[in-house]
Amino acid sequence: MTPGSNEPKSRYLQYLEVVTGSLEEKRRYRQYKARIKRLPENYRTAVEALERYLMHFGPADGAGAMSMYEDLADLFEQSAADGTPIRDIFGEDPVEFVEAFMANYPVGQYRARERNRFTSAIERAAGEDTGRQDRTV
Amino acid sequence: MGKQVTEMLKGTLEGIVLAILSGRPAYGYEITAWLREQGFSDIAEGTVYALLVRIEQRGLVDVEKVPSEKGPPRKVYSLNAQGREYLEEFWRTWSFLAERLEQLREGGKHT
Repeated sequence: MTPGSNEPKSRYLQYLEVVTGSLEEKRRYRQYKARIKRLPENYRTAVEALERYLMHFGPADGAGAMSMYEDLADLFEQSAADGTPIRDIFGEDPVEFVEAFMANYPVGQYRARERNRFTSAIERAAGEDTGRQDRTV
Repeated sequence: MGKQVTEMLKGTLEGIVLAILSGRPAYGYEITAWLREQGFSDIAEGTVYALLVRIEQRGLVDVEKVPSEKGPPRKVYSLNAQGREYLEEFWRTWSFLAERLEQLREGGKHT
Protein backbone atom coordinates (compact mmCIF):
# COMPACT_ATOMS: atom_id res chain seq x y z
CA MET A 1 0.00 0.00 0.00
CA THR A 2 1.02 3.57 -0.41
CA PRO A 3 2.28 5.61 2.53
CA GLY A 4 -0.41 7.30 4.56
CA SER A 5 -2.99 4.60 3.94
CA ASN A 6 -2.74 3.44 7.55
CA GLU A 7 -3.90 6.74 8.97
CA PRO A 8 -7.35 6.50 10.47
CA LYS A 9 -9.94 8.00 8.18
CA SER A 10 -12.19 10.78 9.32
CA ARG A 11 -15.82 9.86 9.82
CA TYR A 12 -16.73 12.15 6.95
CA LEU A 13 -14.34 10.31 4.63
CA GLN A 14 -15.73 6.95 5.75
CA TYR A 15 -19.26 8.01 4.83
CA LEU A 16 -18.10 9.51 1.58
CA GLU A 17 -16.36 6.29 0.55
CA VAL A 18 -19.51 4.29 1.21
CA VAL A 19 -21.12 6.42 -1.45
CA THR A 20 -18.28 6.84 -3.93
CA GLY A 21 -16.07 3.77 -3.44
CA SER A 22 -12.51 3.94 -2.13
CA LEU A 23 -10.88 7.30 -2.82
CA GLU A 24 -7.47 5.69 -2.45
CA GLU A 25 -8.29 3.31 -5.29
CA LYS A 26 -9.61 6.14 -7.42
CA ARG A 27 -6.35 8.01 -6.88
CA ARG A 28 -4.31 4.94 -7.85
CA TYR A 29 -6.46 4.44 -10.94
CA ARG A 30 -5.95 8.05 -12.01
CA GLN A 31 -2.19 7.64 -11.56
CA TYR A 32 -2.27 4.51 -13.69
CA LYS A 33 -4.24 6.30 -16.40
CA ALA A 34 -1.70 9.11 -16.44
CA ARG A 35 1.16 6.63 -16.86
CA ILE A 36 -0.60 4.98 -19.81
CA LYS A 37 -1.18 8.36 -21.44
CA ARG A 38 2.58 8.98 -21.53
CA LEU A 39 3.30 5.76 -23.49
CA PRO A 40 4.10 5.84 -27.23
CA GLU A 41 0.95 5.52 -29.30
CA ASN A 42 1.13 1.85 -30.33
CA TYR A 43 1.87 0.72 -26.76
CA ARG A 44 -1.03 2.84 -25.53
CA THR A 45 -3.37 1.30 -28.10
CA ALA A 46 -2.33 -2.18 -26.96
CA VAL A 47 -2.85 -1.33 -23.28
CA GLU A 48 -6.28 0.11 -23.97
CA ALA A 49 -7.28 -3.10 -25.75
CA LEU A 50 -6.01 -5.08 -22.76
CA GLU A 51 -7.95 -2.84 -20.41
CA ARG A 52 -11.15 -3.51 -22.26
CA TYR A 53 -10.61 -7.26 -21.94
CA LEU A 54 -9.74 -6.95 -18.25
CA MET A 55 -12.86 -4.86 -17.57
CA HIS A 56 -14.96 -7.74 -18.90
CA PHE A 57 -13.14 -10.74 -17.48
CA GLY A 58 -10.72 -9.46 -14.83
CA PRO A 59 -11.24 -8.53 -11.18
CA ALA A 60 -14.09 -6.06 -11.00
CA ASP A 61 -12.62 -3.56 -8.57
CA GLY A 62 -10.75 -3.28 -5.32
CA ALA A 63 -7.10 -3.20 -4.37
CA GLY A 64 -6.39 -6.40 -6.35
CA ALA A 65 -7.49 -4.76 -9.56
CA MET A 66 -5.36 -1.70 -8.81
CA SER A 67 -2.17 -3.71 -8.37
CA MET A 68 -3.04 -5.47 -11.61
CA TYR A 69 -3.20 -2.18 -13.50
CA GLU A 70 0.01 -0.98 -11.87
CA ASP A 71 1.85 -4.16 -12.88
CA LEU A 72 0.52 -3.64 -16.39
CA ALA A 73 1.87 -0.09 -16.49
CA ASP A 74 5.27 -1.37 -15.21
CA LEU A 75 5.44 -3.90 -18.05
CA PHE A 76 4.60 -1.43 -20.79
CA GLU A 77 6.81 1.38 -19.51
CA GLN A 78 9.70 -1.06 -19.44
CA SER A 79 8.88 -2.46 -22.88
CA ALA A 80 8.60 1.01 -24.37
CA ALA A 81 11.97 1.96 -22.85
CA ASP A 82 13.58 -1.23 -24.24
CA GLY A 83 11.84 -0.78 -27.60
CA THR A 84 10.39 -4.30 -27.36
CA PRO A 85 8.11 -4.83 -30.39
CA ILE A 86 4.41 -5.21 -29.54
CA ARG A 87 4.30 -8.70 -31.02
CA ASP A 88 7.20 -9.81 -28.82
CA ILE A 89 5.29 -8.73 -25.71
CA PHE A 90 2.05 -10.46 -26.68
CA GLY A 91 3.32 -13.46 -28.63
CA GLU A 92 1.30 -15.25 -31.28
CA ASP A 93 -1.77 -15.53 -29.08
CA PRO A 94 -2.55 -12.38 -27.08
CA VAL A 95 -5.42 -14.15 -25.27
CA GLU A 96 -3.01 -16.67 -23.82
CA PHE A 97 -0.90 -13.84 -22.44
CA VAL A 98 -3.79 -11.88 -20.94
CA GLU A 99 -5.24 -14.99 -19.30
CA ALA A 100 -1.87 -15.90 -17.75
CA PHE A 101 -1.49 -12.32 -16.54
CA MET A 102 -5.04 -12.08 -15.15
CA ALA A 103 -4.71 -15.37 -13.24
CA ASN A 104 -2.33 -13.62 -10.83
CA TYR A 105 -5.03 -11.43 -9.35
CA PRO A 106 -8.03 -12.34 -7.23
CA VAL A 107 -11.08 -13.13 -9.32
CA GLY A 108 -13.91 -10.61 -9.41
CA GLN A 109 -16.87 -10.97 -7.10
CA TYR A 110 -19.14 -12.28 -9.81
CA ARG A 111 -16.77 -15.07 -10.84
CA ALA A 112 -15.89 -15.91 -7.21
CA ARG A 113 -19.57 -16.26 -6.33
CA GLU A 114 -20.27 -18.50 -9.30
CA ARG A 115 -17.20 -20.64 -8.59
CA ASN A 116 -18.32 -21.19 -5.00
CA ARG A 117 -21.84 -21.98 -6.08
CA PHE A 118 -20.57 -24.46 -8.66
CA THR A 119 -18.17 -26.16 -6.18
CA SER A 120 -20.91 -26.61 -3.56
CA ALA A 121 -23.40 -27.85 -6.15
CA ILE A 122 -20.95 -30.58 -7.16
CA GLU A 123 -20.29 -31.43 -3.50
CA ARG A 124 -24.01 -31.90 -2.97
CA ALA A 125 -24.39 -33.90 -6.17
CA ALA A 126 -21.50 -36.14 -5.08
CA GLY A 127 -23.24 -36.71 -1.75
CA GLU A 128 -20.51 -34.91 0.18
CA ASP A 129 -22.78 -32.30 1.66
CA THR A 130 -20.73 -30.95 4.54
CA GLY A 131 -23.43 -28.58 5.64
CA ARG A 132 -21.44 -25.74 4.19
CA GLN A 133 -23.52 -22.85 2.99
CA ASP A 134 -22.94 -21.22 -0.36
CA ARG A 135 -20.36 -18.65 0.39
CA THR A 136 -21.32 -15.40 -1.17
CA VAL A 137 -18.23 -13.25 -1.29
CA MET B 1 8.33 -24.60 -33.17
CA GLY B 2 4.89 -26.05 -33.17
CA LYS B 3 1.85 -25.88 -30.98
CA GLN B 4 2.95 -28.97 -29.06
CA VAL B 5 6.05 -27.44 -27.57
CA THR B 6 4.03 -24.35 -26.56
CA GLU B 7 1.57 -26.56 -24.71
CA MET B 8 4.31 -28.55 -22.97
CA LEU B 9 6.18 -25.39 -22.08
CA LYS B 10 3.16 -24.02 -20.20
CA GLY B 11 3.57 -26.53 -17.41
CA THR B 12 7.33 -26.27 -17.16
CA LEU B 13 8.12 -22.60 -17.77
CA GLU B 14 7.97 -21.82 -14.06
CA GLY B 15 10.63 -24.45 -13.31
CA ILE B 16 12.74 -23.28 -16.25
CA VAL B 17 12.70 -19.67 -15.04
CA LEU B 18 13.53 -20.68 -11.45
CA ALA B 19 16.40 -22.80 -12.78
CA ILE B 20 17.74 -19.81 -14.74
CA LEU B 21 17.52 -17.67 -11.60
CA SER B 22 19.34 -20.29 -9.53
CA GLY B 23 22.41 -19.55 -11.66
CA ARG B 24 22.32 -15.80 -11.13
CA PRO B 25 19.88 -12.94 -10.56
CA ALA B 26 18.30 -11.53 -13.73
CA TYR B 27 15.64 -9.12 -14.93
CA GLY B 28 12.70 -10.02 -17.15
CA TYR B 29 14.17 -9.01 -20.49
CA GLU B 30 17.35 -11.04 -19.85
CA ILE B 31 15.31 -14.13 -19.06
CA THR B 32 13.24 -13.83 -22.26
CA ALA B 33 16.39 -13.19 -24.33
CA TRP B 34 18.07 -16.27 -22.85
CA LEU B 35 15.03 -18.45 -23.57
CA ARG B 36 14.97 -17.23 -27.18
CA GLU B 37 18.67 -18.00 -27.59
CA GLN B 38 18.00 -21.52 -26.35
CA GLY B 39 15.48 -22.02 -29.13
CA PHE B 40 12.24 -21.16 -27.34
CA SER B 41 11.65 -18.55 -30.00
CA ASP B 42 7.87 -18.28 -29.56
CA ILE B 43 8.02 -17.21 -25.95
CA ALA B 44 6.23 -13.91 -25.30
CA GLU B 45 7.81 -11.28 -23.10
CA GLY B 46 4.42 -10.74 -21.46
CA THR B 47 4.06 -14.40 -20.56
CA VAL B 48 7.45 -14.34 -18.82
CA TYR B 49 6.43 -11.14 -17.03
CA ALA B 50 3.16 -12.69 -15.83
CA LEU B 51 5.16 -15.63 -14.50
CA LEU B 52 7.60 -13.33 -12.69
CA VAL B 53 4.68 -11.51 -11.05
CA ARG B 54 3.35 -14.88 -9.91
CA ILE B 55 6.58 -16.23 -8.42
CA GLU B 56 7.08 -12.89 -6.67
CA GLN B 57 3.58 -13.05 -5.17
CA ARG B 58 4.27 -16.59 -3.96
CA GLY B 59 7.51 -15.53 -2.29
CA LEU B 60 9.86 -17.70 -4.37
CA VAL B 61 12.09 -14.81 -5.40
CA ASP B 62 13.51 -11.65 -3.90
CA VAL B 63 13.16 -8.49 -5.94
CA GLU B 64 15.50 -5.56 -6.08
CA LYS B 65 14.83 -2.38 -8.03
CA VAL B 66 17.92 -1.29 -9.88
CA PRO B 67 18.08 2.13 -11.57
CA SER B 68 18.60 1.99 -15.34
CA GLU B 69 20.01 4.64 -17.67
CA LYS B 70 16.90 4.51 -19.86
CA GLY B 71 13.37 4.13 -18.60
CA PRO B 72 12.05 3.07 -15.19
CA PRO B 73 14.13 1.12 -12.62
CA ARG B 74 14.50 -2.56 -13.50
CA LYS B 75 13.26 -5.29 -11.21
CA VAL B 76 16.04 -7.80 -10.66
CA TYR B 77 14.85 -11.21 -9.48
CA SER B 78 16.90 -13.64 -7.41
CA LEU B 79 15.97 -17.05 -6.09
CA ASN B 80 15.50 -17.22 -2.29
CA ALA B 81 15.47 -20.22 0.07
CA GLN B 82 11.79 -20.94 -0.56
CA GLY B 83 12.39 -20.74 -4.30
CA ARG B 84 15.30 -23.19 -4.06
CA GLU B 85 13.10 -25.64 -2.20
CA TYR B 86 10.41 -25.26 -4.83
CA LEU B 87 12.95 -25.80 -7.62
CA GLU B 88 14.19 -29.02 -6.01
CA GLU B 89 10.61 -30.26 -5.94
CA PHE B 90 10.21 -29.28 -9.58
CA TRP B 91 13.28 -31.36 -10.56
CA ARG B 92 11.99 -34.36 -8.60
CA THR B 93 8.64 -34.11 -10.38
CA TRP B 94 10.40 -33.68 -13.69
CA SER B 95 12.56 -36.81 -13.16
CA PHE B 96 9.48 -38.81 -12.26
CA LEU B 97 7.66 -37.65 -15.38
CA ALA B 98 10.65 -38.14 -17.70
CA GLU B 99 11.27 -41.63 -16.33
CA ARG B 100 7.66 -42.71 -16.79
CA LEU B 101 7.48 -41.32 -20.30
CA GLU B 102 10.69 -43.09 -21.22
CA GLN B 103 9.25 -46.35 -19.90
CA LEU B 104 6.17 -45.77 -21.99
CA ARG B 105 8.27 -45.21 -25.09
CA GLU B 106 10.44 -48.29 -24.47
CA GLY B 107 7.33 -50.35 -23.75
CA GLY B 108 5.82 -49.18 -27.02
CA LYS B 109 8.88 -50.39 -28.93
CA HIS B 110 8.75 -53.93 -27.51
CA THR B 111 5.10 -54.62 -28.23
